[in-house]
Amino acid sequence: MVEKAEEQKNLAQLEEQEITVKIKRFSKEKGSWWQEYRLKVDRFTQMTEVLRRIKTEQDPTISYRASCHMAVCGSCGMKINGEPRLACKTLALDIVKIYNSSTISVEPMDYFPVLKDLVVDLDEFYDKMFKVKPRLYPDKDVLEGKVDHRLKPEDQRELWKFEQCIWCGLCVSSCPAVRIDPEFLGPAAHAKGYRFLADPRDTIYEERLKILIDSSWRCTYCYQCFNVCPRDVEPVTTIKKTRAHTKFMKEKTKVAETGEKHIESIVSSIRETGKLEEAKVYLSTYGLLESIKDMIYAMQNGKLKYALVQDTKVKGLDQIKKIMGE
Amino acid sequence: MEKLSYDAIVVGGGLAGLMAAHQIASAGFKVAVISKVFPTRSHSSSAEGGIAAYMPGNSDPNDDPDFMSYDTIKGGDYLVDQDAAQLLSEKSGEIVKIMESWGTLFNRQPDGRVAVRYFGGQTYPRTRFVGDKTGMALLHALFQRVSGIGNVDFYNEWFSLDLVTDNKRVVGVVAMEMKSLNPVLFKARAVVMATGGMGMLYSHSTNAYINTGDGYAIALRAGASLKDPEFVQFHPTALYPSDILISEAARGEGGILINNKGERFMKRYAPKKMDLAPRDIASRSIITEIREGRGFPGGYVGLDLRHLGEEYIKERLALAYEAAKTFSGVDATKEPIPVRPAQHYYMGGIDVDITGKNPDIIGLFAAGEAACVSVHGANRLGSNSLLETLVYGRETGNSVVSFLRDYSGSTSDMEKEAEKVVEEIYRFTKSETGVHYGEVLNKLRDIMWEKVGIFRDEKNMSEGLTEIMKLRDMVPSMYVTDKSSVYNTEFFNALELRNMLDLAVVIGTTALNRKESRGAHFRTDYPERDDQNWLKHTIAYSKGKTVEITYKPVKMTKWKPEARVY
Ligand SMILES: Cc1cc2nc3c(=O)[nH]c(=O)nc-3n(C[C@H](O)[C@H](O)[C@H](O)COP(=O)(O)OP(=O)(O)OC[C@H]3O[C@@H](n4cnc5c(N)ncnc54)[C@H](O)[C@@H]3O)c2cc1C
Ligand code: SF4
Ligand code: SF4
Ligand code: FES
Repeated sequence: MVEKAEEQKNLAQLEEQEITVKIKRFSKEKGSWWQEYRLKVDRFTQMTEVLRRIKTEQDPTISYRASCHMAVCGSCGMKINGEPRLACKTLALDIVKIYNSSTISVEPMDYFPVLKDLVVDLDEFYDKMFKVKPRLYPDKDVLEGKVDHRLKPEDQRELWKFEQCIWCGLCVSSCPAVRIDPEFLGPAAHAKGYRFLADPRDTIYEERLKILIDSSWRCTYCYQCFNVCPRDVEPVTTIKKTRAHTKFMKEKTKVAETGEKHIESIVSSIRETGKLEEAKVYLSTYGLLESIKDMIYAMQNGKLKYALVQDTKVKGLDQIKKIMGE
Repeated sequence: MEKLSYDAIVVGGGLAGLMAAHQIASAGFKVAVISKVFPTRSHSSSAEGGIAAYMPGNSDPNDDPDFMSYDTIKGGDYLVDQDAAQLLSEKSGEIVKIMESWGTLFNRQPDGRVAVRYFGGQTYPRTRFVGDKTGMALLHALFQRVSGIGNVDFYNEWFSLDLVTDNKRVVGVVAMEMKSLNPVLFKARAVVMATGGMGMLYSHSTNAYINTGDGYAIALRAGASLKDPEFVQFHPTALYPSDILISEAARGEGGILINNKGERFMKRYAPKKMDLAPRDIASRSIITEIREGRGFPGGYVGLDLRHLGEEYIKERLALAYEAAKTFSGVDATKEPIPVRPAQHYYMGGIDVDITGKNPDIIGLFAAGEAACVSVHGANRLGSNSLLETLVYGRETGNSVVSFLRDYSGSTSDMEKEAEKVVEEIYRFTKSETGVHYGEVLNKLRDIMWEKVGIFRDEKNMSEGLTEIMKLRDMVPSMYVTDKSSVYNTEFFNALELRNMLDLAVVIGTTALNRKESRGAHFRTDYPERDDQNWLKHTIAYSKGKTVEITYKPVKMTKWKPEARVY
C-alpha cells in the first residue's frame, strides 16, 4: 500500500490550468475563420467537455457532434492539433503536455465537406459502409429459429476486433487512397466488409468477394488508418486479410489480377532463391510479406471448399512456410 | 409545410425504436424512423455489462423464468407490474437468440454456445454479453439488420418537435431536418416514441449528451401521461469528472471505497455488506461523505483497487482500469479511481400497457427507456434495460401492426396545428434579446441534482420546484444567438432545454407528492416504504402550468410484497 500522504497528494492533484482553444469555425452565411477561447481545465477534462463548456458558458454558436462521451458512439471525430482524434477520448492537458503548448487547435475532420464549424457531412462515408452489405446473411434455418449458430470463442474474438468500428470516419478522413481513387471503398468499409467475409455464419461469400477484392488492391498500405483508429480496428489489417481471398475469386478485375501477380512473383522468387533477407529488402514493405502470411493462413483456415480447389498451390506455399520459418 | 405520409412513425433509432420499426416494416407497413442522431450514435451504444436472459438449455439447471421475474419484482421494490415482468422473462431467451441470428457477436462458451455471467440482484447468472460493449454490439447488429430490409426510411439527424393530434388521436409528428432546419409534417396512423432517457436533467449523469428527455415532454404536451415519473436511478460509481460508468464489477471483485482520510467509510453505513451494499445505499453514503467534507477537492471519493494487485486488476477489471486511464488519466494500479454518484437510468416514462399502447391517445405507443411498462418499478436491475428495449420494442411493433390492420386513421388535415408548432419555436430565433439557454440549462441541472436527487425531502423539493417553475417561465423569453440556417445546434439545444423543463416540473411535483421511500426514491423525511398508502403507480399529466396526479394499481400476479433486504 502506498503511504497515505502520497495517496492524498495524488487524489488532490486538481490544479487548474488555463488553456487557449483555437477553433476553426465555418458557417454557410459567414464563411470560415479561427476563433479563440480561454478557459481553465484540470487533468481530467476531456475535449468534449472543453467544447461543451465553451458552448454553454462562452459562445453558444459553436456546432459540434457529441453523444456518449465514452468513445463508443463515434460522434466526435475531429482534428485536435492537426491529429484526427475522438474529442471525448482526448484529455486537454495531455495535448498540452505532448505539444508543450497551452494552445490547442480544433478543426473539423479532413476530406469530408464541412457543414458548420466541426460538423461535417458524412453521407459519402455512410454510402460506402452500406455498399459492403454490412450485415450478416445467415442461413434460412437459423433465421427461422430451427437451428442455432455455434461460434468458436476464438472466431468470436477475431471477428469482434473488426466489428468494433464505431463509424466515426477518422480513418477515411486521413486515408490518401480515398482521395485519389473513387473506386476505393476506404478503410472503415473494408473493416466492416471483412468482418462479414470472415464470418463462418455468413452465406454470401461470393458476393462479398465481388464487392471487396478489387477495392482491396487500391489501398497504399500507408497505415494511416491503423494509426488513427480510436478502437484499434486496424482497417489495413482487414485489407491485407481480404487480399488473401483474391485466390478464391472466379472473375478477377484487372486491379486485383495485377496485384495478385505481383505477390505471386515475389512468392516464387522467395521460393527459388530462398533468400528471405534479400526478398525483404526488395519488398521494403512489411505489408506485402504479411500478405503472403495471410494467404497461407487463408488456405489453411479459410473456407475449406475453396481451399481444395487450390490443391496444387498449397504445395508451393508449404515451401515458403518453411523458408519463413513458420 | 412539406408533408410526408407513412403507416407508422418511430421516433428514436436506439434499440427499442429499431426493433419496433423492424416488426412494423416486416409486416409490410411503411415506417419512418426519425432520430436526432445517426442511429448507432444513440445512447444504447453505451451499455456495457450485458443483457439478462433465461435461455432453456443454456442457463443454470435450477433457474426458470419465475425466478427471473421474482428478482425483477423484488429489485423494483414491488412497484413492478408482475405480468410485465413475467412477459419480459419469458421472452428473454428468444430475443437473445434472434439478436444472435442477426449477427450479434455474443461471447461464447468453449462449445460455441452463448456465454453467461452473474450480475447484481440475480438469483442465478443470466447476463449475456459482448465483452464490455454489449450495447454497442447489439445496436450495430440491429441497425445493420434493419438498414437491409425494405419499407423503412431513415430520417437521421432529424429532430422531432411535437406530436400532432386530433381529438386524442395521433395524426403525425412534426420534425425538422437539422442540416437544413426544414420542418416536415410526417403523417401516420401510429407513432412509437422510443426517444430514450433524460440524464441531462442532472448535473451528473452517466448518460449521453443527447439524453434530454424529449419524448417525455412531447408526450406530455400532447396530453399523454407519464407513469411513476419520480423514480430516477443513481449509480454510486461514476468516474470523476466525466461521469463515465465504472461497473459494479469493480466493487464485486474487491474494490473498496475510501474518503480523503483514507478511511473505508462503508463500514459506517453498511457494516455487513460494506462496499457491496446496493446501489442506492452506496450512492447515499458517498454523498454523505462528500457533504460532510470527507471527499476530495472537486467532490469525489476514491475507489481503491490497488490492494488487488496489478495482474488481477488488468485481467479481471480491464474495463474499469481502461476507463480510468483513458478518461481520467488515472492508473488504477497506482492510485484510487476518482468516483462519485451520478444519475444513471429513468424508471418513469410514457404510460403504456404490456402491448406498448398509451391509454390517453389513440395511435400513440412507446417503448424502451422512454416508456414505462412497469418492469423496473422503483429501481431497475442491471441487464434488464437492454432486455426491455428489445422485448418490448418487439411487442410494441407487433401491436402497432395489429392496430394498423384495423384502424383507418383520422382524416383531418391538421396543417394549421403543425404550423403552430413551428411558429412557436421560430420565436427563439426571431428575438434578438432575452435569456440565453446555457444559463438556464446549467441552473436546472444543478437544482435537479441538489434538490430532486439522491436525498429528497419536503423543504428542498418545494424550493427546487419553485425554482424550476421560474426557469420554465423564462422559456418564452429564451433566444438563440446563432442565426445560421445550417446545423444550428444552439437552436436544437434550446428546444431540448424546453423539453427538459417540461419534464423537470413533473418529476419535481410527483417526487414531492410521494410521501414514502421506495427503491430509488429516498426521502429523509419519510424513510420507510409505505405499502398501505403508496403501493400504487403515479400517473401524471401536464395541464397548463400545473401537474395533475392520479394513481393506478400495481398489477400483482404471484408475488406478495416483502421487505427488500439482500
Ligand atoms: C453507461 C450506461 C451503461 C448501461 N449499461 C446497461 C447494461 O449493461 N445493461 C442494460 O440492460 N442496460 C444498460 N444501460 C441502460 C440502457 O443502455 C438504456 O436504457 C437503453 O439503451 C435505452 O435504449 P432506448 O432504445 O430506449 O433509447 P436510446 O438508445 O437512448 O435511443 C433514443 C433514440 O431517440 C432519439 N431521439 C431522442 N429524442 C429525439 C428527438 N427529439 N427527435 C428525434 N429523435 C430523438 C435518439 O436519436 C436515439 O436514437 C446502461 C446505461 C448507461 C447510461
Ligand atoms: S493503409 Fe490503405 S486504407 Fe489505410 S489509410 Fe492507408 S491507404 Fe487508406
Ligand atoms: S475503422 Fe476505426 S477510425 Fe475508421 S470509422 Fe471505424 S472506428 Fe473510426
Ligand atoms: S462522444 Fe461518443 S465517441 Fe466521442
